[in-house]
Amino acid sequence: MEKRCKILIIDDEEIVLDSCLQILSGGDYEIRTAGNGILGVDLAEKFRPDVIFVDLKMPGISGFEVLEKIQEIDPTIVTIVITGFATIGSAVEAMQKGAFDFLPKPFTPDELRLITRRGIEKRKLVLETLALRREKELLREHFAAIVSHELKSPLAAVQQYLYSLSNELSDQLTEDQQHRFERIQTRIGDLMQLIHTWLRAITVDIESIKENFAPTSIPVVISKAVESVDPHAIRKDIAIRTAVQDDIFPVLGDEGTLVEAVVNIVGNAVKYSPAGSHVEITAKNFDDEVAITIEDDGIGISSDDLPFIFEDFYTSRSDKQIEKGSGVGLALTKRIIEAHGGNVSVESELGEGSTFELRFPALINQPIELSPINNEFMNKT
Amino acid sequence: MDTKKKLLMIDDDPDFVEPIMAILENAGYEVDAKYNPDEGFEALKSGSYDLLLLDVLMGRGAEGIMIARKIGDDEKLRETPILIITGMREQIAFLFPGQPVHPSFVPTDELIEKPVEPDLLLEKVSTLIKMAEERKAQSELN
Repeated sequence: MEKRCKILIIDDEEIVLDSCLQILSGGDYEIRTAGNGILGVDLAEKFRPDVIFVDLKMPGISGFEVLEKIQEIDPTIVTIVITGFATIGSAVEAMQKGAFDFLPKPFTPDELRLITRRGIEKRKLVLETLALRREKELLREHFAAIVSHELKSPLAAVQQYLYSLSNELSDQLTEDQQHRFERIQTRIGDLMQLIHTWLRAITVDIESIKENFAPTSIPVVISKAVESVDPHAIRKDIAIRTAVQDDIFPVLGDEGTLVEAVVNIVGNAVKYSPAGSHVEITAKNFDDEVAITIEDDGIGISSDDLPFIFEDFYTSRSDKQIEKGSGVGLALTKRIIEAHGGNVSVESELGEGSTFELRFPALINQPIELSPINNEFMNKT
Repeated sequence: MDTKKKLLMIDDDPDFVEPIMAILENAGYEVDAKYNPDEGFEALKSGSYDLLLLDVLMGRGAEGIMIARKIGDDEKLRETPILIITGMREQIAFLFPGQPVHPSFVPTDELIEKPVEPDLLLEKVSTLIKMAEERKAQSELN
């Protein structure tokens, strides 16, 4: 820190203020003093000191109140209480309330200098920690932009070239060559999807979706999710069947992320199911809850993996044959569901398929109005 | 196509311009390309184009968006349909909170994400051109 450190001393005894000023004048400090609590708090606000000494026993507002007010002004300011021998107990109390240390009266010049230095060290550490924390936040926020640009755009350019090449060559390629072109495109597409999913898991503040919660229709969520997964399922010859209770309750939520959550689970079901099988989606009311279950006849999840599948960056270790996931889809799904006040559970056995159940608090006695979103959806289909 | 439709593409990444131009030219369009927003805007003003392909997040910040806004404010230019191409769908939403799909800069525009599949690209381009032509015919009637 290049700046001179700022110290504020609040004490009603002139002699204490004077002697502190004298003792500390040798150090490279900028010092202010206040003769009572009100003046002290006022100065704390204007002068923004690094370290504040506060006498606990003053007429007018007490040292404790001063400490509280300083906390409100800036909790990173380091406070040290000055106290007589008789009031050590209150010094301890002050420290419990956030004071950094205490200085018992009478004190020697060296004691004051030492405790001042320590207070300033502490202040530096507090500020550094804060700066590091902020930097970490910034990095996290910028990570999205950096990864988007640095990873996604070269990949997208490669893909664009492939698209244009296969477009131009479409009538000249043998079926075999065409197939290889498609594989390259598929793999690059998967890689871009992976980057996209990671980005979302890392950068999206799930809590913020709560701001846009609105009554949301379960049938709409399910049909949108199915619409999104269906192309993949059709390619694998997997049928997605849905059975939604007619008078199913709506939920309070964010349609976009709910669709994403269902897509993640249904997408997994398709990914881990053998060709020709089917995935069952059912939605029912259960008392004051809505339950969506997604059942597949896929490879299942081993009991070793089962407890961890909702954790970030976890992919199964036990199988080598099938395509690997990004390791964040289910973690993100769980966070989305929990942000909606719901929960997700899974039953599975290796080789026996898996059943995921999503439960949400139902929005009862509030028939869902067809919002513009729903209308738009209806028109599209 | 009797007369070749003329398109302008503004994108600062030549590695997108080249393959996208190839697809469009292959389909019989005539395509001009500009690699920075200012030159692109000048070209748009001086030429007569049937459609603009615009990379919306060029360079630092979002110069493409500034261009789109400028076009939207211009009586004449705003009649040109725009196909907005973006590498970052997510960030579009950040830039325009509360507009989940995309902002409408001009009466006829649409947004697609890079990379663009040839069939989708060609479909969007022809649909937008057709929509703009219908709009024009309609306004001439009134």
